[in-house]
Amino acid sequence: MYRYNAIDKSIIEDRAAEFRDQVARRLGGELTEEQFKPLRLMNGLYLQLHAYMLRVAIPYGTLSSTQLRGLARIGRIYDKGYAHFTTRTNLQFNWIKLEQAPDILDALAAVDLHAIQTSGNCIRNTTADPYAGATADEVDDPRVWAEAIRQWSTLHPEFSFLPRKFKIAVTASAKDRTVARAHDIGLVLHRAGDGGLAFAVMVGGGMGRTPYLGSVIRGHLPASQLLSYLTAILRVYNRHGRRDNIYKARIKILVAALGADEFAQQVENEWAQMDCSATDLPDAHLAGIRAGFASVPFEALPPVSAVLQVARKTDLALARFVRNNVRPHKMPGYAIVNVSLKAPGEVPGDCTSEQMDALADIADRYGHREIRVTHEQNLVLPHVKLDDLAAVHTALRAVGLASPNINLASDIVACPGMDYCTLANTRAIPVAQAIAARFADTDLAERIGELKIKISGCINACGHHHVAHIGILGVDKKGEEFYQLTLGGSGAEDASLGSLLGPAVPHDQIVPAVEALIDTYLRERRETERFLDTYRRVGPTPFKQAAYVEAH
Amino acid sequence: MTYVAMTANDLRDGEPVFWAEGRWVKPFLQAELFATSAPAEAALSAARTQPGTVVDPYMIDVVLVDGLPIPTAYRERVRALGPTIHPDIGKQAVGGEVVQAMRAYAGAARSSGRLNLISRK
Amino acid sequence: MSKLIKRRREDPAANALQWVEDAFLHIADDQPIGSDVRDLIVSFHRFQSDGAALLAEGRKLGVRLKPEEPVEQLADALSQLPVVVLEFPKFRDGRGYSSAVLLRDRYGYTGEIRAVGEVLRDQAAYLIRCGFDAFEPSDGSTLQDWSRYAFRSRHVYHARASGSGAG
Repeated sequence: MYRYNAIDKSIIEDRAAEFRDQVARRLGGELTEEQFKPLRLMNGLYLQLHAYMLRVAIPYGTLSSTQLRGLARIGRIYDKGYAHFTTRTNLQFNWIKLEQAPDILDALAAVDLHAIQTSGNCIRNTTADPYAGATADEVDDPRVWAEAIRQWSTLHPEFSFLPRKFKIAVTASAKDRTVARAHDIGLVLHRAGDGGLAFAVMVGGGMGRTPYLGSVIRGHLPASQLLSYLTAILRVYNRHGRRDNIYKARIKILVAALGADEFAQQVENEWAQMDCSATDLPDAHLAGIRAGFASVPFEALPPVSAVLQVARKTDLALARFVRNNVRPHKMPGYAIVNVSLKAPGEVPGDCTSEQMDALADIADRYGHREIRVTHEQNLVLPHVKLDDLAAVHTALRAVGLASPNINLASDIVACPGMDYCTLANTRAIPVAQAIAARFADTDLAERIGELKIKISGCINACGHHHVAHIGILGVDKKGEEFYQLTLGGSGAEDASLGSLLGPAVPHDQIVPAVEALIDTYLRERRETERFLDTYRRVGPTPFKQAAYVEAH
Repeated sequence: MTYVAMTANDLRDGEPVFWAEGRWVKPFLQAELFATSAPAEAALSAARTQPGTVVDPYMIDVVLVDGLPIPTAYRERVRALGPTIHPDIGKQAVGGEVVQAMRAYAGAARSSGRLNLISRK
Repeated sequence: MSKLIKRRREDPAANALQWVEDAFLHIADDQPIGSDVRDLIVSFHRFQSDGAALLAEGRKLGVRLKPEEPVEQLADALSQLPVVVLEFPKFRDGRGYSSAVLLRDRYGYTGEIRAVGEVLRDQAAYLIRCGFDAFEPSDGSTLQDWSRYAFRSRHVYHARASGSGAG
């Protein structure tokens, strides 16, 4: 958990004060909407269908229990008592009034939170592995580097008015839990040949209308040179990204137009001419950031918990929860606990203020006060003793946060869709709810195994449907809600973009279509193949036949 | 017969508002319905003389069903009522026959429900 | 003469801003140049065609760049130019910030870098930290307005090595 120092606090306080001023000028008529809109977007304030929406930044998806309580309180006082965790590990409040936004930013600043650069044509929240600092399979804590990037990118004077939004993800594990390959910049931390830390730098990934997987432009960038190299990339983009057409303004378009090699060369040329020492973090500063992450006082525990072993035998719900939601921790006697925000029947990714408070209490008591957010709209308690798992499970169950469905068919990602968002063509949440209801039986879901279903209500792809095993994209056909199916996408280290299966199906046919796809998989699979593996082996034909026979 | 109404979002609280005889109102039921687009355009010009109270005014299609005004676009019905997944939140929470009618209405609609996208000055 | 806000670069720690009379006259490409020897700001295009002649008349010259015009093409001429003007046709167009940074950091330019076009006080801090030291605000900002935004942050994460940081 990164502890803000006085400088960090002053920056977000001053930014909140500046925005208070800007809101006053807007309400007083001194700023037009055209002038004000980019400024309010840079403070995360959107205008949606029903009200303003405020997107709070959760840097690298890490929250303290104090911060979670702060968000719960804001939800109660200024919103309608609930909020939504997004696919970029931020939090959205849906019922915000502009005239209250300055007070909300002050309330956020009081718990070291902010909404800086969560929207607008600037560098957005940098995301990282939600298992950082807890998983054995990382070479270093990626959040240290994500914090360095956060500081570098916050109110960056040169890069605050880019051609378009800019998203960076950092992972330090061979297993990618950040969708790094579908980001404007994806950074994979690893050990170079000499044993030093280095980044593989991927540029030009992205979802939206025209999805791309990023290209590696540098395989081994010494970690200490990260910020100067990022500066070179951003400068090339800021100068040469298209500004004439917002649909062609992302860096992925520039990389595709130039070709990855030419783009890489331009970055290297820029980098070679820079005074890197002015930008790269001195070792002492980096050490300061590292020290800012409080080390967790792990106890020396046996690798197996007798208490848990006994409990699992008698409490089948606990056993299922452990089987599906709990992951190994680097420390013996500890575990990573995934908290599902996908209780069938509920809105995916939504969390009430009561649930937030309860989770904060659980984190205080059993989780070293730390909570993480994943890009699949779930939460994580990264440091829980095996001995405490039964108690944690009981406490989560009491507030509806114990659905044992992580990575299963009912663990669906859905954007807010046309229930909230001005950009949407169709609703996404009711589709997710209908599918989740169909596969709510966890025995069935476990039989199916790992299945990532993701739903976007429009082509902007905030639901990440391009990297879903079954992706669903809402489209409008003559005013009616239709849904396209894509298969075979993945946001993990085996990243791939889904392929369109066939014509869009109407709203009332989507559940039968998904059932048909899953039936096909169950029929065709061999051994321990996941849905994705079977699809990759047999191809789309059997799936297409099944889905379109069923749906018509 | 299709009518045209004008809508925007309130600057201060972001809520949808509807043009009704020279001013902006919150309840959709009170929205002024124009039979043709000419008077609607005139209303839009009048609305523009009131800068600073609303954001992004635009026109929407409305039909009368049993005497009740219903936006033809699903998006605009969601906007008038509230999120479909939370029937207890938003304007729909008050219930009533307009709410029921809007929920029941199904029919071909102009897709996004936005007519005359106004470029902001 | 028109006025602009100028920041005293020789004493950046003082953060002092003041209104100054613009000593230069902006000349459009198709505008004839009078015989009185005024200091002029011209487009890059005009600087290429008429620059040498104008300098020979004893005038001081500044060059005005559009966002898409690369600063590299001015590199060799910078020692002769007391002013470089960077245009912001829309305040959202961020290319001028990179141009200013390159002028200061890559080319060591010490003359005046001026922001013109749609220039709002909300940009002030970003502009100054990129090395701009003169501004023609388009939003009616007073000196107080400009200062309040320019030096709003008590701290910044990246005070620039060139010393034009605000914090």
